[in-house]
Amino acid sequence: MQTVANIAVLVAIYALIGSGYVLIYRVSRVLNLAQGELMMLVAYLLFSLATLFGGHPASALAGAVLLSLLVGLVLYVVLMRRMTGELVIAAVLVTIALGILLRGLMVLVWTGQMARPLEKLGWQNSPLALGHGVALSSVAVTTIFVAIAIYVGLFVFFRYTAWGVRMRAVGENPLLAAQRGIKLHVAYAMAWALATFSGGCAGMLLALDSGLDGTMAIIGLKAFPVVLVGGLDSLRGAIVGALIVASAEVLAIQLIDPLVSDVVPFVVLIAMLAVRPWGLFGTEEDIQRV
Amino acid sequence: MSARGALLRLEQLEVVYQKVVTAIQGVSLEVAEGQIVALLGSNGAGKTTTLRAITGFLGVDDARVTDGRVWFEGRSIENQPPQLVAHQGIAIVPERQKVFETLTVTENLEATVPGAGTTRAEQRRRVERVFEHFPRLHAARRRLAGYLSGGERQMLAIGAALLCTPRLLLVDELSQGLAPRIVENLLERLVELRKELGLTVLLVEQSAHVALQVADHGYILENGRVVLDGTPQRLREHKDVQEFYLGQAGGGERRSYRDVKQYRRSRRWYG
Repeated sequence: MQTVANIAVLVAIYALIGSGYVLIYRVSRVLNLAQGELMMLVAYLLFSLATLFGGHPASALAGAVLLSLLVGLVLYVVLMRRMTGELVIAAVLVTIALGILLRGLMVLVWTGQMARPLEKLGWQNSPLALGHGVALSSVAVTTIFVAIAIYVGLFVFFRYTAWGVRMRAVGENPLLAAQRGIKLHVAYAMAWALATFSGGCAGMLLALDSGLDGTMAIIGLKAFPVVLVGGLDSLRGAIVGALIVASAEVLAIQLIDPLVSDVVPFVVLIAMLAVRPWGLFGTEEDIQRV
Repeated sequence: MSARGALLRLEQLEVVYQKVVTAIQGVSLEVAEGQIVALLGSNGAGKTTTLRAITGFLGVDDARVTDGRVWFEGRSIENQPPQLVAHQGIAIVPERQKVFETLTVTENLEATVPGAGTTRAEQRRRVERVFEHFPRLHAARRRLAGYLSGGERQMLAIGAALLCTPRLLLVDELSQGLAPRIVENLLERLVELRKELGLTVLLVEQSAHVALQVADHGYILENGRVVLDGTPQRLREHKDVQEFYLGQAGGGERRSYRDVKQYRRSRRWYG
């Protein structure tokens, strides 16, 4: 049972980070390979805000959430906007460069040492007994609920709101969307803001649970197989992909060796690519285009 | 052409692809307000290029308007980005990929209706108006557009274009791949819409039969030039139009227009 609980927490983390990849890819066909660095950046922003507003944990948290949206927006307007109309591969390379740049900057600003935003906020991460001998930390339980809430929010957004529908339209056929007078830049900017937000939430929750240092970006990279397994343009696929990768990872830790955990997602990925390169829920033609 | 003056006017338009290939040269035409104008021509005559020059979609294929002007309501709009052109009141029903296939019919319309400056109720009313014009779409409103029939797709594409409240509607190949009865139906609807909404339509067609049924004026485009224009009456009476576009041979026996195309045509029109 404890294993199931551990898997659920990891699924929640991977699904959150993965939704960031999916959002941007689905709307603009760009793979954002700086997703790991962006979630780390948001986590560090939370740490700094927690240091500044020590007495008001809620406002520090709210501030970090707002900043996560803002970071995505600014990145699009300042950097990625110029890449519209260019080759997709060029845009992807820009995100790689962005990731390297961010990693360097973060070491400069926050050093590479372990930061613990939870302590700064003055909260406790007490373990919760969930019955049947299962216990999870309170942050881990929160993570599961946050992931569910964000996914429900995203599904509602894409199905029922005008801009959600427009973003799907832009993702399918940007040319037609422009002819219909849909503002492409608004759709792209919203995708970036939402992606940084959901990835940032994963980063903040991870940092609250187990602290924050330079290795967090690797977790972002490990979530990449998740979306490739699920299919790059499908949120549903990201959940299933997270389930598969997280299960494999947790089981490998328990049955084989904790050291293999970092490798497992990529082993799953290679197996998947050999069988179904466009992922479980992805559109076949999309991969050919990349 | 008309006392009211032209809504759209192309003046000696020249479009060059990739800096070398001239697709259209010196195309001039006028579309007066409230008219349905047909632009006819066979494959590769430059019809779609002309449309792209109007809608600002040349950049995608690395093409540019290198000479001449596109006037819309007295402003010159050549080489402007597509969104700007769309906002000025030019909507297009493209030849291919005219609907968002992964969206339902209703979502297709909702994505298109402009959000800024209107209330939710107003937006819904405008979508309902489209359903009134095309009841078949209402019946199919929950279906994915990718599963619609050709005729329904065309209706949806026209309906979506109407939501942009265009002054000028460009229709690329209305009749392509559709049964004659459906084409008739769509044409009737276009004529109604023109009356009802004061719409101006530029109909780009391979099939002269179809276009001349409803047009007030027609242009014939060949090898990137306008070779003939006039009222449908005049065009129908023209020997070459009869022979090459309406399939009636002048001297009794029917001839495939490909056999004689280059030779005869250059003699009569240029010679």
